[in-house]
Amino acid sequence: MISRFQIAYKNLLRKKARTLLTLVGIMLSSWVLVSLLGFNRGYEAALNRDIDNMGYQLMVMAKGCPYEAATMMLQGGTGLRYIEQSMVDSIVHRSEVDKVTPILMQAFFDPDKGDGGGIAGYFGVDAETFPTMKPFFRFRQGGWFHDEQAAEAVMGYEAAELEQREVGDKILVPEKNVQLKVVGILERTGTQDDGTIFVPLKTLQKISGIDKITTIGIKVKKDADSAKLEAALYQLPDVQVVSFTQVKQTIMKLVATARVMVLSIAIIAMLIAMAGVVNTILMSVLERLQEIGILKTMGAMPGDIFILVWTETLILCSSGGVAGIGLAFVFARLSDILVRRVLPYAPGGELVAIDLKLALLTLAVIVVVGLLSGIYPAWKAGRVRPLESIRSEG
Amino acid sequence: MRGEGSIQMIRKALVFPLALLLLLVAALPALGAVGCDLNDPDRDVARLFPDSSGYKTSYTAIDKRGGEPLLREVEKRLGDRFHGIYETIDVPYTIYEVYSGRRKAGYIHGVNQKGQFGGIQVFVALDMEGRIKSFYIQKMTSQWAKKLRDPRFGRQFAGLSLRDFEAYDPVAGKGSGRVAEIRNPAPEAEADFRAALRALKKNLILMDEFVYSAERGKP
Amino acid sequence: MTTGNGVSLAARGLTRVYRRGSEDIRALDGVSLQIRRGEFVSFMGTSGSGKTTLVNLLGCLDNPTSGELELAGRSIFGGGRALSERELTRIRREVFGYIFQNFYLIPTLTVRENVALPLAFYRKPGSEGEVERLLRLLGMEHRLDHLPGQISGGEMQRVAIARALVNRPEILLADEPTGNLDTQRSAEIGEILQDLNRSAGLTIVMVTHNPGLARLGGRLIEMRDGRLHEG
Repeated sequence: MISRFQIAYKNLLRKKARTLLTLVGIMLSSWVLVSLLGFNRGYEAALNRDIDNMGYQLMVMAKGCPYEAATMMLQGGTGLRYIEQSMVDSIVHRSEVDKVTPILMQAFFDPDKGDGGGIAGYFGVDAETFPTMKPFFRFRQGGWFHDEQAAEAVMGYEAAELEQREVGDKILVPEKNVQLKVVGILERTGTQDDGTIFVPLKTLQKISGIDKITTIGIKVKKDADSAKLEAALYQLPDVQVVSFTQVKQTIMKLVATARVMVLSIAIIAMLIAMAGVVNTILMSVLERLQEIGILKTMGAMPGDIFILVWTETLILCSSGGVAGIGLAFVFARLSDILVRRVLPYAPGGELVAIDLKLALLTLAVIVVVGLLSGIYPAWKAGRVRPLESIRSEG
Repeated sequence: MRGEGSIQMIRKALVFPLALLLLLVAALPALGAVGCDLNDPDRDVARLFPDSSGYKTSYTAIDKRGGEPLLREVEKRLGDRFHGIYETIDVPYTIYEVYSGRRKAGYIHGVNQKGQFGGIQVFVALDMEGRIKSFYIQKMTSQWAKKLRDPRFGRQFAGLSLRDFEAYDPVAGKGSGRVAEIRNPAPEAEADFRAALRALKKNLILMDEFVYSAERGKP
Repeated sequence: MTTGNGVSLAARGLTRVYRRGSEDIRALDGVSLQIRRGEFVSFMGTSGSGKTTLVNLLGCLDNPTSGELELAGRSIFGGGRALSERELTRIRREVFGYIFQNFYLIPTLTVRENVALPLAFYRKPGSEGEVERLLRLLGMEHRLDHLPGQISGGEMQRVAIARALVNRPEILLADEPTGNLDTQRSAEIGEILQDLNRSAGLTIVMVTHNPGLARLGGRLIEMRDGRLHEG
């Protein structure tokens, strides 16, 4: 006729505003929690994808270069350090190495880009080996260079969009006033390649009057000992070796710090929500002492009352949790955007990856924590003695 | 002790700045999608409207405002088709609505235009009647960009409005009246000069469709 | 102590002492009495006379300080051992139905649900169909889906009576059942109780201030200072 569940549920309807506010609290905290857990997984996956999309796992560059590369971006390529191109040959024969590609980074100052001028960055890449390192590149228009000395350029998606370039159009290398023909425009990759202009290595060397390179990209064979290779590369004169696995670990460490902070906020939010649950349920127990006493005269055992009150907690937490997780699903892309704004380095693709398994896990956490916080009010309700509660009326 | 240990040290010292570099580089291509925004809106608005007190930014696009018929109308008024893969119906336009106190003082609007060697960004500041207060090219890749970006070139446009450009044919590069008097300071860059004028006409037509026609319609 | 056939409740030397601060208050002072099956007993007395304390002890809502109580020949209290809440509950749901001055209906449940409430916790065999039958018997069949806030005080007490009877108790304990009702409604509730006693043979133990109501029962007991004065 009437189940305990209905009794509990209808009791929550008694103070609708209070129940609603409590629900909102639980909802928000479960939203934060599930998004955070989803971010945990999504971010690492996205970062791995980004690093795979580099095409190479190791980079060799002149000592001091990372600092200078940053300066290059900021100050326009003054003080770049170079390495000899012959170094490529000494690396390519090592047994751990799958592929090697030489790269020359150059930056030219364009005074007519915005007010103070801007930097135009060019990547000189080997027409033969570089494309094989990036087999995942898809062309929106055109294709790779026709030969290794061609006055041609391949543009990343965003670079082409900014410059309104299509295949067949010309671009002008600032400072040098050299014209190049656009032969290919790449599809969006979600990586820094989108903003890059690729030029045949020899062409860029000729334009800038340099016969050296800045970087060597190395693709390590699967199952090869990358650490051993790194150590060997350090024996080369005046170079630095950068491993993207290490870069990834460093970024993950940076992100972990941020994550710990956000996680603490999520935990605090959850504690507040749970304090709200305890308050709501305890208040409703105290308001109903006499009714609970009457239930006991009717034959309700302490355990029955305990379960009744606990059921109220369960209803609150599970519906708030489900609503919050629903919100997280709906607004996953929004969370993505927020996270992207907050984070220093955000890889492409989905950052907040929520699936059913994760949703159920979060729900379980919310419900368990909710049930824990429901114990005290439920226990207190179970202990109410009928006589005391009825007599308290006077 | 200069063997393994110091390599480890170098590695550790290296990885952190490189990670930072990646962060930095990744932040760069965040340069907008296909729209045309002011480089530094706060500074630019204050420069173009010295007595302004604030501004509001809004975004619109032809496909949001009138779809295919509006596109055809704009093309008809322009006297040229929209072409290329970047001049499309869904290009977002950023309109800066400038205020002086509670009074609206005017608008700033820029459009992208394909130039000979790269994208050209043509901005105008307009008063409430649609007259050009100032004209300038925010970005242009060309050997002769300096001349076209010179304020002396921009000043020739002050006081003109859409009406002056109605007879301008962007395909032939021929206009009449005050528009015909505008001098190209860089005869070598005729293509970019015409591109800038086409962009300006398109800019004024879009502003008329998006803003002024609606304001005229008000009782 | 032995109880003869037909004796429902038998108390001997029931005493209840409350502690208030450092003072002992002897609310009930060695009361002995027998209530037979099918009897309608009314307790009257000024407030503080101990009548509610006695009814609470008879109804197993409380443990006595000393004394004995037998229920249908079975010893409930005695030998100084207090019963746990759980044991008291088990006795209560088997034997008793209770109604109170403040009806204690649950405001968010309908009339029908309020009456069915005890069945959510304990269901005595034979209670099927009792909810509708009782509500019809008490003239509430047209109010089944109303909420307590939508019916009158007299109707609320009828609902409370139906709720007390849904598990077919042997004894109905009524503590000031008409305390919150006007004369007219009080009389109606009195009639209902009298009717239940006569036609269904329900044993009723009632506490009241209302002399008219008290006289409805076959037996009237006055209480003063925790002792009985049977008239």
